[in-house]
Parts: sequence; C-alpha cells; structure tokens
Amino acid sequence: MACRVGVYVCNCGTNIARTVSCDEVATRLARVDQVVVARSYQYMCSNPGQEMIAHDIEELGLDRVVVAACSPRMHEPTFRAALQGAGLNPYFLEMANLREQCSWVHDDPRAATEKAVSLTTAAVRRVAQHEALERRFVQMCPATLVLGGGIAGLTAALQLADAGPQVYLVEREDHLGGNVARVDLTAPYLDSARSLLQERIARVAAHPRIEVLLRSRLHELSGYVGNFTARVRGADEGLRDLDVGSVVVCTGYREFDAARAAEFGYGRLPDVITSFELERMLRAGRIVTRAGVPPRNVAVVHCVGSRSERHHGYCSRVCCMTALKYGHEVRSALPEARVMDLYIDMHAFGKGCEDFYRRSSELKTMFLMYAKGHPPRVREAEPGDEWSLVIEVRDVLSGEELEVPADLVVLMVGMEAREDSQEVAHLVNISRDKDGWFIESHPKLDPVATTTDGVYIAGACQAPKDIPDTVAQARAAAARVLARIARGRIEVDAITAEVDQGACSGCRICSQMCPYGAIDFDTGARRSHVIGALCKACGTCAAACPAGAIRARHFTDGQILAQLEGVLEWPSNHGSSASSATGAPTREPTSPEPAASTTVPTCASSA
Amino acid sequence: MAVRVNPRLIDDLARYGAQDVSKCYHCGNCSAVCPFSRAPHLFPRRSMRYLQLGLEARLRGSLEPWLCYYCGECTEQCPRGAEPGETMMSMRRWLTAQYDATGLSRLFYRSWRAELLALALVSVLTGAGFLAWGVLNGSLAVYDGPGAFLSSAVVHRFDWALAAALIVLLCANCARMWWFCVARAPGPPISPWSYLKQAWRLPFHFFTQARYRECERKRPWAVHLVLVLSYVSLFTLIVFFAQEMQAGPAIDWRVHGLGYAATLGLVGATLWAVRARRAAQEAQYRRSHESDWIFLLLLLAVAASGVVQHALHRAGFLPAANLAYLLHLMLAVPMLLVEVPFSKWAHMVYRPLAMYFEALLADAHASAERREAPGVARAA
Repeated sequence: MACRVGVYVCNCGTNIARTVSCDEVATRLARVDQVVVARSYQYMCSNPGQEMIAHDIEELGLDRVVVAACSPRMHEPTFRAALQGAGLNPYFLEMANLREQCSWVHDDPRAATEKAVSLTTAAVRRVAQHEALERRFVQMCPATLVLGGGIAGLTAALQLADAGPQVYLVEREDHLGGNVARVDLTAPYLDSARSLLQERIARVAAHPRIEVLLRSRLHELSGYVGNFTARVRGADEGLRDLDVGSVVVCTGYREFDAARAAEFGYGRLPDVITSFELERMLRAGRIVTRAGVPPRNVAVVHCVGSRSERHHGYCSRVCCMTALKYGHEVRSALPEARVMDLYIDMHAFGKGCEDFYRRSSELKTMFLMYAKGHPPRVREAEPGDEWSLVIEVRDVLSGEELEVPADLVVLMVGMEAREDSQEVAHLVNISRDKDGWFIESHPKLDPVATTTDGVYIAGACQAPKDIPDTVAQARAAAARVLARIARGRIEVDAITAEVDQGACSGCRICSQMCPYGAIDFDTGARRSHVIGALCKACGTCAAACPAGAIRARHFTDGQILAQLEGVLEWPSNHGSSASSATGAPTREPTSPEPAASTTVPTCASSA
Repeated sequence: MAVRVNPRLIDDLARYGAQDVSKCYHCGNCSAVCPFSRAPHLFPRRSMRYLQLGLEARLRGSLEPWLCYYCGECTEQCPRGAEPGETMMSMRRWLTAQYDATGLSRLFYRSWRAELLALALVSVLTGAGFLAWGVLNGSLAVYDGPGAFLSSAVVHRFDWALAAALIVLLCANCARMWWFCVARAPGPPISPWSYLKQAWRLPFHFFTQARYRECERKRPWAVHLVLVLSYVSLFTLIVFFAQEMQAGPAIDWRVHGLGYAATLGLVGATLWAVRARRAAQEAQYRRSHESDWIFLLLLLAVAASGVVQHALHRAGFLPAANLAYLLHLMLAVPMLLVEVPFSKWAHMVYRPLAMYFEALLADAHASAERREAPGVARAA
C-alpha cells in the first residue's frame, strides 16, 4: 500500500536551524519515496505551521505526517490535534526529534544534517506502518474508599461525601482520630487538637453518605481506575466487597521507637519520656516525674530518630514547633519550671511559626544547639544532686561542653512509616521510597496521585507533615477524585498492549511481569487479556511473551523495524549527499510548491 | 571539663536590667557592628550566650562587659529586640555586685528601696553627726575660721577619712575582680614586668576615656569626658583645697574659677544625661535601671546644694549658708559611700582596670606564642 506522506521540518527559530540545515533536510526528504511534500518552516508548532499541515492534508490528500522538530514529549499532542482537526487519525503522526537528539547535542553542522536526514527518513518509514487507533472510555464508579480515619482520612471523606458520592472509611483501630487524637494542644496557635477532631468525627459519624468501618482492614483490591473492588476484612473477620472508583490512602505514620537511640536512655531511665507520653500528661493536666512530683527543669531533646545517620535522615517537620509548644504548656502549668530545648536547627517554616519561635524565646526557654551527628547523652545525676538526670551536650553556639540538669527529659520522637506500609503499598499497588513513605506521582506538580491510576495518597503516609499540610493534601486528593467523578467516564489511551487470544497459551508470564497489574487472566478460557485502563504501554509483556502473542500497539515489531531500516537508508540507498554538498554548496530552498517525488528506489520494508 | 548550665541565672540578671537576653538567637549582628569587638574579645554575643546558658563562673571571669561603652549600635541592629547593649550594661551591674564581698551592692541593685534606705540612713547619720558637732563647737552664724559651725579643717579631716574608707573598699573589690578575671583565667602566667609595663593604661583610660572615642558617634564620649574631668577637678579641689574653697566671702579665682568651670561641666553633662534618659530615644538611654536614676539625681542634688551653699556664703547669709552646707554634706557623703563602692560609680575604676587586665592577658598570650614560635619554625 503506497502512502502519501507529508514531511515538515521545523527550524525552531534557530534552535535547530543553527546546526542543522533544515532546508537541505526538506529538499532531500522530498526525494524519498512515498513523500509527497517536504517543507521547512520557522516554527511548525505555531498556528501558521499547524495550518500548513492541515492545508496540505486536505489539498494534497496526505494520509501520513512526519514532523521533524523537537521531542514528542513537547509537541506530539499539538500535532496529533492538528491531524485530527484536518480529519486524519491522530496516530498517523510520527515525530523525528531534530532538536534534543540532533541540533542541541552536535556541533558539526554537516554530520548533524546527515543525522537529521536519517532520523526523518526513519520517521517516514515508521509512519507508513502506523495504524489508525481509537481512544476508548470506561465507566467511573463514584463511590470512594478512604483508608485511615485520622485527620487526613476524616477530611477527605467529608469533602467527598459533602459533594455527593458514597464514601467507605476504613480504620484499623476501634476509634477515629489517628495520631492527632493523642495530642493536647497544637502549634503555633495553641488551639486544642481535640476540638479540631471532635467536630469532624461527629460529622463523619452522622453523615448519610459515609460508612465508617472500624477495626477493619483492606484485604484485597482488584480492578482498575473507576472500577475497583475492595475486599475489606471487618471487625468480625468477615469479608465484604465494596465497589469503588477511587482509593484515597491516608494511613498516616507511627512514632519512632525512642529505645532505638540508646544515648537518650529511654526505657532505662524512668524520667526520660517521649513527646507522646508528655502529651498524655498534658491532656490529663498533670505533669509529674516518676516520683510523682512536678519537675523543676524540663529538657526537650529534638530530632530523636530524625536527621540522624543511624536512624532516619529526613526531618519529621512537626517536632520543632511541638517542642516550642511544650515550653508554653509546661510554663503555664508549672510557672516555676524551666524548659531547656536541645536542638540542631530550629525549623520554623510554617505560617505563624517564626513568630511562635520568637514568643517562645521570650518565655526564657533555654535553647542549646547541638551539632548533627553529635546527639546529647542522658545519664543519671550524682547522688545528692537536686535533679535526677544530667544531659551532656556540646553547645555549638558557645563551643562549651555542658551539663544540663533535668528532672524530666522529653524526647521529640520523629515520624516513621507504619509497620504495615509495605503491606498497604502492595495491596493498592503503589511504591514506597527508601524510608517507607508512599511515593507520589510527581514531587512538585502531582503530590497526591500515585503511579496507579485511581489511587491517591494524603497526609503523613506520603512523608512527615503537619496538620495544615495534611488537611490540604487530603482536600487535594478529594478534589482529584471528584474531578474524575464529575467527568463520569475515564478516557483510556489507545496506545496499549493487546493479547492475540488465539496465540496466547495462558502461561501468565505477562501478568507476573506487568508492573501495573494491567493483565487479567480469564480462568475459564485460560487466556490473558490486557486491562486497557491500567496499561501504560511500557511493552514489558510484549517482550516477555514466549508465544509472541502480545502486541504493543503503536510500537509493533513492524513499525520499529521499518524505523531502523529508515535510519540505515542513508547514504547507501540515496547516495552520499556530503559529496554533493561540497560540490554544490548552495541549495535551492524548498519551494512552497509541493515537490512530488519518488525516483529513488525504496528499501524492502514498504514493499 | 563540662560546665553546668543554670536556667535561673537569667532570672537573677533580669533584676539587674537584662530583660530581653532570652530573645537572642545568635545571629551575631551585634558583634559584627561593634567597633571594639575583635578577637579574642568577641562581644556582646559571647556574653549573651554565657548569660543564656547561666554559665556564672564564665561570666564572673569575663572582662568583656567592661570593654563595652554602650554606644547602642548593637541594640539598634538586633533583629530580635534582645537589647545586647542593655544586657552588657546589666552584666556590669551584676559584676559590680559580684566584686563586692559585702553583698550590699547586690542588695542595692536588686532593690531600689534598699538603696534609697541606705542613702537616707547615711544621710541622717551624717547630718546628725555634723549638726551635733556644729552645735557643740561652733555657732550657726559663723561660717569659717574659729567658732565656725562646720569648720573646714574638721570637714577636711572627715573627707580624708571618707576617701580612705572608699579606697579600702574599692581596693578590696578590685582585688576580687583581679582574682576572678586574671588569677583564675586559663592560659599562660603573667610576668611581674608586664604588670609594670602596662600600668600606664590605668591613668590613660581614666583621664581620656580614649576607647569610648572609638564608638561611631562622638558626642556621648565628649559628654562623658566632660563629666569625668569636671568630677575629677571638683574632687581634687575638695579633697586637697577644701580650706581655700571655703575661704571667703571674696572670690578667689585661682581655685573658684576652676570650681565654677567644673560645676558648669558637671551640671551640664548631668542635665544632658537626664534629658536623654527622659526622652528615651537613643538606644543607650532607652532603658533606665533605677540605679541610673538614683545616681543622676543624686549627682544633680549634690551639685545644686553645693552651688546654693557657695552662693549664700558669698552673699553673706551665713546661717543659711551653714544649713545649705549641712544639706550638701548630707547628700554628698551618702552618694560617695553608697555609689562609689557599691553601685554605678564603681565603673570609673573597673573600666580602666579591665583594660589594664586585658592588656596583661594579651601580653601573656603573646609571650607564650613567642616561646612556642621557634618550635613551629623547626617543624616547618
């Protein structure tokens, strides 16, 4: 079948034209068989550039288009839309990357031009093999599964259910509230954590469209975006299937086990406690040492388990302000007590936090700065001392080796990924980083989506964060889900793998290899098939299939081989243009008239 | 050797005026702008840190608060309102109390009521003593010579006794200062020759206030110098030329001319300071401790009563002049006895002494380095 290919060489201003002779590329491409027209233009992506392509499609009856310009990551959607606008299937486009792969990386204009000609010819050979592909749609189930009933899960559930859809809120414990429920006041405005939660918990419990499943766990998640089935194990150990379109993971964090940092003496010295143990005292309204007396000197040690080479390298983000909060809470409960803060750096980045830090210093909190990697050591005081503990620390700001007398030592335990984070990640098919936190789709631009479509993350399960950031992320995740629900259906990319049912032997190697869980096995027919909505067209299954039964659409063997042969065509089949170039340095620029051409013999691929 | 922190020293210093030191987060701007701050004396930041940590012994052995003249530049530049200048001032008050073994200084600085009570007590005792002497030995109508109500010869002897007492007290305090700052300072020993070689610094800094001049603004130095020289002149006239001063009623310009000039300088400088403290515009006058006001007002009152006494004498109102003289003594004696060894006035001795001690310590370090230098050369 002969194709009518149009070739469009973009100068990209001077980005490409500075190194590559675009006019020469167009002139030489015009001589390639099947090429009906080849043009060089200043900016192909501009409106006149796109209109030129559309015009040629209509006037010259083109059925394939090659744009030799920048990376397809940049403008493939642009030119596909141009083709579609002119009535051509958008997948009849191929791009040759003359900018990133040619002009930007080469200095020699001659060689760069040769390479550009080869790449563009390869694109012509490939595009001849392209098939018309159609985009498809699947239905979107509006119900949503929220995993975790902490501040993130409560917020996401309320925002979703208030907008209309049904929400299933699954919580492992027998109560809602998560870690925030263990805290007394919150920094920096010293408002009560309990009042933050209570209103939310009450609304969730009473909400007609939120079903709370306490003492329940996700057992299995099958299906794909818009059409998940969540199997939940309930309090009675019974299994229940829930049909949901999206999953929001809000499983939170657990605190660092202070006993792992032996230098602080936690577990060995009775008056060394964790921040959560102090929170319990504060909520009970009674701060006392093990001996039952109010402490005179309270030392607060920052970065326990955080920012350390031996434990976690990251900053847990909430401890600094929480530690400052203890200065306020201890001083207001025990005006005679003094608080000493042993810190590495004071991280006061949040709104209102720097001001909070300033106000804390006015409370005469003693700040002792220790160097990262040189944590303070807590030991028992000498017999006869008025205090029970002594902290040895080297203060960076004075250079002095100091002994800090204390009656109560509070360890600011950092956040770490929950012990079941690996299990959860496996269940919902998302990834974890080296510290066990769930990985977002893009650290800056897509902070709540994951690599699995339809699964979102919010709160401290993604990384340590404070309440405002957690709530913002939970609301963002809910907004993402609602946007999907509002569209009603989900567009599935046409470029996916497909299994030839006749050739499939049912060996299931492909489903083991697929990183996205996109291959389903029909146990009745004993054949595999691809779930289009999940397939990312990575091609792993196509490469792995021993029967050659899997085809990666738009990346078929025929297309790739044709492209390779196209690269190899020059100069053997068309003659060395380098010699002709030296002979005739000036060339005619491409005329606006279409140069119908095909005199050069073609290679076997298109025969 | 580890040093123990004391979270409560900061509360003690607050009584001396250091209200804001806990706000400091050690950016170091204060030490960067200070024209005096150079190695090894990096202040005020180091002193601020010692105070925050409650390192009492380090602070007691530090000369740095005395090297500061409180130009206020550090306070102006402080981003946190930690008042480094006022903190240094408070540390000078605290150090004055530390050098005083009797504990009176500590009492006076921490309670202005106690200071006023002590002043009143000394004043009443002085008044009662001189009144009794005058009534028993002289007549209110006689101002000078035989039968004088307050004979200048007697007052003169009293002056000498008072001066001796003040010198003994001050020397004891200076010895303690030397013990804290020099004897117990770590580092190489100080040679006796160094003590002699550097002694010129004591009169030099006392009479010129030369270091104050290094501050960016010169006016505070000039006013302070006028105050110091006026006071020294009047002190010299009173202690060594009391009889000539009291003679009259004719004006003896050889002594009185200098007396008038010094009085003018003293009153002028004091009024300038009172006005500046009331305006509270410049950093160094924004915060005034009670002891600052007591000192200034007492100085003004002593000067004013002296002027009145002198004027009444020259005008021939002898009984009134005698009563004014009695009042003058009732103000001057408590001022000297309380302020010089126990309160603000002690700084006139401690400041030059600190610069002397600083030079001694620097000498010792320099000679120690010279001793080590040949070894370094060999190694190289």
